[in-house]
Amino acid sequence: MASHSESIIREPLITGENITYAQITDDVLRPVENTPTKAWWIGFTVASLGALLWVVAVSYTFWFGIGAWGLNKTVGWAWDITGFVWWVGIGHAGTLISAVLLLFRQNWRNSINRSAEAMTIFAVICAATYIVAHMGRPWMAVYSLPLPNQYGSLWVNFNSPLIWDVFAISTYFSVSLVFWYTGLLPDIATIRDRAKGVKQKIYSVLSFGWTGSVKTWQRFETVSLILAGISTPLVLSVHTIVSMDFATSLEPGWHTTIFPPYFVAGAIFSGFAMVQTLLLVARKVLGLENYITMFHIESMNKIIILTGSIVGVAYLTEFFIAWYSGVEYEQYAFINRATGPYWWAYWSMMSCNVISPQLFWVKKWRTSIPFSWVLSIVVNIGMWFERFVIIVTSLHRDYIPSSWAMFYPTWVEVSIFIGSIGVFFTLFLLFIRVLPSVAMAEVKLLLKGSSEQAKKKVLAGGHVDAEQAQFYKESLEKFDSVEMADYAKI
Amino acid sequence: MESNKKYWKGLEELNNSPEFVELNKHEFAEPIPIEEILSGTGLMNKTPRRNFLKALGFGVGAVSLAACEKVPVHKSIPYLIKPEEVTPGIANYYTSSYDGHAILVKTREGRPIKIEGNPNDVLSKGGVSASAQASVLDLYDANRLQNPMLKGSSSSWDAVDSFVKSELAAIKAGGKKIRLVTSTVNSPSTLAVIADFVAAYPTAKHINYDAVSYTGIIQANQNSFGKAVLPHYRFDNADVIVSFGADFLGSWISGEEFTRQYVSNRNAKSLEAKKMSRHIQFESGMSLTGSNADVRIPVKPSEEGIAIISLYNAITGTTLPGSQKLSNNASAEKSIMIAAQELKAAKGKALVVAGSNDIATQTLVNAINVELASYGSTIDLDNPSKKYAGNDSEIKELVADMKAGSVDAVFFLDANPAYDYFGAKEFTDALAKVRLKVSFSDRGANGEVTTIGDETSSLCTVIAPNHNYLEQWGDSNIIEGYYTVIQPAINPVYNTRQAEQSLLIWIDAPVKEYYTYVKNNWEKTLLAKGGLAGQAGWETLLQTGFVKVADKAAVSYSLIAKDLAAVANTINTQAAKLVTKGDDQVELQVYANSVIGDGKKANNPWLQELPEPVSKVTWENFAAIAPKFGEKLGYKEGDVIKITSPNGYSVSLPVLFQPGQAQGTVSVAVGYGRTLAGPVGNGVGQNAFPFLTASNGTLQSSSVATIAKTGEISILAQTQTHHSYEGRTVIQETTFEKYKKDASSGNRSEREHKVYSLWDEYERPQYNWVMAIDLNACTGCGACVVACNAENNVPVVGKDEVRRRREMHWIRIDRYYSFNEDGGAVTKEKEIGALQKDTAHMDNMDNVSVVYQPMLCQHCDHAPCETVCPVLATVHSSEGLNHMAYNRCIGTRYCANNCPYKVRRFNWFNYWNDSRFDNYLNNEHTQLVLNPDVVTRFRGVMEKCSMCIQRIQAGKLKAKIEKRPLKDGDVKVACQQTCSANAIVFGNMNDPESEVAKALKSERTYYVLEELNVQPGIGYQVKVRNTKEVQA
Repeated sequence: MASHSESIIREPLITGENITYAQITDDVLRPVENTPTKAWWIGFTVASLGALLWVVAVSYTFWFGIGAWGLNKTVGWAWDITGFVWWVGIGHAGTLISAVLLLFRQNWRNSINRSAEAMTIFAVICAATYIVAHMGRPWMAVYSLPLPNQYGSLWVNFNSPLIWDVFAISTYFSVSLVFWYTGLLPDIATIRDRAKGVKQKIYSVLSFGWTGSVKTWQRFETVSLILAGISTPLVLSVHTIVSMDFATSLEPGWHTTIFPPYFVAGAIFSGFAMVQTLLLVARKVLGLENYITMFHIESMNKIIILTGSIVGVAYLTEFFIAWYSGVEYEQYAFINRATGPYWWAYWSMMSCNVISPQLFWVKKWRTSIPFSWVLSIVVNIGMWFERFVIIVTSLHRDYIPSSWAMFYPTWVEVSIFIGSIGVFFTLFLLFIRVLPSVAMAEVKLLLKGSSEQAKKKVLAGGHVDAEQAQFYKESLEKFDSVEMADYAKI
Repeated sequence: MESNKKYWKGLEELNNSPEFVELNKHEFAEPIPIEEILSGTGLMNKTPRRNFLKALGFGVGAVSLAACEKVPVHKSIPYLIKPEEVTPGIANYYTSSYDGHAILVKTREGRPIKIEGNPNDVLSKGGVSASAQASVLDLYDANRLQNPMLKGSSSSWDAVDSFVKSELAAIKAGGKKIRLVTSTVNSPSTLAVIADFVAAYPTAKHINYDAVSYTGIIQANQNSFGKAVLPHYRFDNADVIVSFGADFLGSWISGEEFTRQYVSNRNAKSLEAKKMSRHIQFESGMSLTGSNADVRIPVKPSEEGIAIISLYNAITGTTLPGSQKLSNNASAEKSIMIAAQELKAAKGKALVVAGSNDIATQTLVNAINVELASYGSTIDLDNPSKKYAGNDSEIKELVADMKAGSVDAVFFLDANPAYDYFGAKEFTDALAKVRLKVSFSDRGANGEVTTIGDETSSLCTVIAPNHNYLEQWGDSNIIEGYYTVIQPAINPVYNTRQAEQSLLIWIDAPVKEYYTYVKNNWEKTLLAKGGLAGQAGWETLLQTGFVKVADKAAVSYSLIAKDLAAVANTINTQAAKLVTKGDDQVELQVYANSVIGDGKKANNPWLQELPEPVSKVTWENFAAIAPKFGEKLGYKEGDVIKITSPNGYSVSLPVLFQPGQAQGTVSVAVGYGRTLAGPVGNGVGQNAFPFLTASNGTLQSSSVATIAKTGEISILAQTQTHHSYEGRTVIQETTFEKYKKDASSGNRSEREHKVYSLWDEYERPQYNWVMAIDLNACTGCGACVVACNAENNVPVVGKDEVRRRREMHWIRIDRYYSFNEDGGAVTKEKEIGALQKDTAHMDNMDNVSVVYQPMLCQHCDHAPCETVCPVLATVHSSEGLNHMAYNRCIGTRYCANNCPYKVRRFNWFNYWNDSRFDNYLNNEHTQLVLNPDVVTRFRGVMEKCSMCIQRIQAGKLKAKIEKRPLKDGDVKVACQQTCSANAIVFGNMNDPESEVAKALKSERTYYVLEELNVQPGIGYQVKVRNTKEVQA
């Protein structure tokens, strides 16, 4: 995180003029230190109504039983596990951004990692509620933990992927939480230093006595690196294990070895889409255009192309392998996906996940904010359908034709899903009210070297290759937060 | 020895310090400030008042909290004096009789909980029908009448008796008619009581009234041979069976018995002897029997009589006057010729039966059977069946008499003409004119139900509720020479009384106690027939359950009336009446299915939820239409259509596309549409009895009706909605021709594969429980499903939940259709779809083959459910069983998802304690039927077939007590035990001599989905069809 000046041809990570450290603090802490805006209230009202719907629907399920959902003897999982996998997948972008990009020294992550990590935590919370809610007897959920008991050898089944899942999700949640909170410490200390009264006391406790001394910073950097090291395998392992919930079964359409990489790519794909959905709105509403710039948006869109393509290849590979295997059940499962009663789900998935991200090859679209936002939602719809297709269309027609059945959702499970989105946004909106949504300390590191104003100074200094300067200027054209007029003079 | 040891409580005591001595004088070592508190200053202090308020607050809070929840009181009363024969936890078995079959009633702590076959039963050798299995639930039906009713209000027996007696005395004086309307009575004792009654009231007459009547056969036998009897058919003696719409494996006369007979010529033993009967069925709707036939030809009701004439002509080589060709049905015409050849070739071992209730048709069938020398071989007229004796003209006469006002008293025993008589309106109008109307029906009010009685008894002056058969004494004589006894297995639950006893009281008979009456009757006449006598003989009878007199020699018969021209003429006229005009007219066929029958048991939820074997529809009847015909009319499955009879009666029923249904016909089952059966049966389906027509002296099941779309849609509650097996190895079949050449033909299992295992194999030192199911023996009747329900406390979920595909049955019968095309079977959905569209081959849709496959937990050795359960709630036993630990289950449902056989059932709701399931079993009373050896499952846990582990355990314990090893056959699982066809064999694979080990060695054995290497524990035997290569 050095602050030496970097090559001129790199695009700036902070735009705007006269940005100072104080300016950054002011900008980032505006929602935390002021009364909420009207936009926030509207958002919060809608989100908490959604959360209320979730409470109602989940309570209804707990009261009457899982029969409140549309499941049946053939289709034992549907919207519940679809929702679970969808949320876990969404969480992956946060971890990828905070851990993997940190290890790769991708400085552009500094402005988006905070929100992305928060998103991870909230998404995992939503996923975890699904794990509990889908159980027939959630009050016995404790049985899934390997706790000592008086029955002697009664243990959990370490062969079961669901047990791996319990470990994977709980590890993932705790590591993500610690990582996120560690990163928050210097920023909380900043709030503490600026706050008064009770608020100061609260933030004082939350900042864990951060002093800002060199030693503290050094330890902070070390801990961040170590946690990044711990988190990186989780990016791969969590969704690998989630995919094994399916891959280790006998079910045609589930029982495939391609699932782990395919699921991980899909998770990152959907996670980045969700980051886009959130940040494109947040940067506008919170006025963070200078910190979350077009460069960030485009970078994320590029990752969406990459992971979307991986997912697309995986879909085609599945089909090929089904044909190549010669297993009639496998073949039928895939033909049924594309042409059976749930064909619309399959083709929704294909068009949302395979075709739509390819549109980002066009630079104009990839740097268009409205287009990116719409597409990010399309991708997440597609990824929801992917899980629905995998789960429901595999189950509804498997080995014994007599048991083939259709699945129709009830209002309860639809409400739980919509409600979980409400829960997610409620948590997210509360988060941006009480904690800095951009990692101030980390963004400040970039101000001296990677900001537009620093680069402008370098350009003004004139010791720059003209061709490179021209390239740099052209690269700025896509930015919505850069005043191009200034560059005409230079 | 006195101890000098001195103990001290503290150093103070040891040292005896002055302070200690001083303090020790007082009762309490330290002064208690009582005085201080009571002296006033204490009470005036602030603290005690506060403390008081705190204590008050806590006290009120705690008391109100404690009062919130009513603590349930569980009454558990030990025996003060233990009855000698009752040991808690040990079942007692009593012989009894149901529907003429000898049965065993299993009781626990005085409660009958299960019906089991008497292995010595002459008719089905221990096989028990679905309806018999379900009958135990009727005992606990909370909607039985709990007291006698007099003029619509609850009364006492004394009041009822004095009322009826005074009325009868007055009627006797008046001299008008008295009529006793019953379903066919074959009980010798009941008949004796009725005779006594008639003797006491000479104007009385007994009328046998069968809702589903066999008058046609009985009268035809009168015409042909001078014997008005229902013959005893012997399908076990028949090598070639041709049936015209007789559902003899299902609802026709004696389904269980015929199943046993029929299967004996088609099961593994018979096949090994290279012998298999041939069965050709001509019928309109697809019946259970038709679905089992080797060749099944759809014919319209109007063609049926013509086809029988053709068959007669072909067999005798004569031509009856008015004979016609089946010009519109070439395949039927051709098949008749083939059938005639085969029948002639099997002369003496052939049998032709017809389901029609038309006297002329049955007379012609008699003539054919005479020609084939069936009498004395496949038809026994000398030991006739007594199951049905009703004469349609008698009830008609009764209605006329009542209308004329010449009947003053009418009694209904097990008869409900207001519901099941085709002219119910006419009947009820006439009934209103009768002075004394008495019903013995037990249908009635309970709790919130405000209506009283069933359709008929609600119109009666007096309801004298009869006992359930499990509460009563009685007897039965279903076949000449076979006498079974009914003995009570429980004290009467309600204030009901044996109908016969009521009659005896009303005639002031010398013996009013029916037990004594039955016993006397047996000692007088029946015991001697079995070589028994006196009290000892009676006791022996109660142990064996029946007396069987050696059959009289069945002899052959010849026709007394040779002239068949008139008969043929009647048949042709009859057929002409069924000719339809226009597109909206169809030939309507009314039939009884093998589950609900005539509807007397409509309030039994086990039966309502048992899928009808062919259509797999539960909880309603429907309009069965051929898919091609339905599409022509623009119908879709589930469209509600209105069916209207010529006399204006109409019902609206959902359409079911039934492959094999004759084109231009609609079939509707009777037994549905009860209005006063009880909360379970009320409003289930529509009543089809009024579609019966009276013609030529009998009630006929076919008529012309008009159909029209109503625009409504009603989704049928089917347990199976995909009907082809997609060419998968799940079903494996062959033909008898191929089987004779190669016993393993059709068996597609590949045993040569080397298999690899991820797991350690475990030893099964003593037992390895496995099962063998012979697809060639299973007729698909579904008795096993109900037996399993009763044995394993399987909940009933109701129509809505079945529609959501959530029925809980641990065993199901999968039914698949395939279509014959160019000599091969078409089983894949796509190809069938193409066939449906290809007009040139569309007729093949009529030519449908059916296969049934009982499917239950396969107890896989490499069970896929076990590896995925996170909490080890489902694990393998050292005896090869897959266990379910309900208490451990957290309900992730992964096991069910991963089960390739989809046999696991999840408790979506708390079926045993959820008011939405009140109608079925969820009440204190009905729960008494639960098997105490099997726990009921709570909501949120998975369940499935346990291979009746409670029976295995009981068998092992019994063997242990008797200090002997467990023998093969000691343990019979519930589904196996009830199967009349013996299609299911269960046992220990480790015992090479066991039945099951031998059965699994058969070349026909295959395992479903064995390629998955889940190593299922249930082997199926390839289905063999006796289809011949096409003959000219």
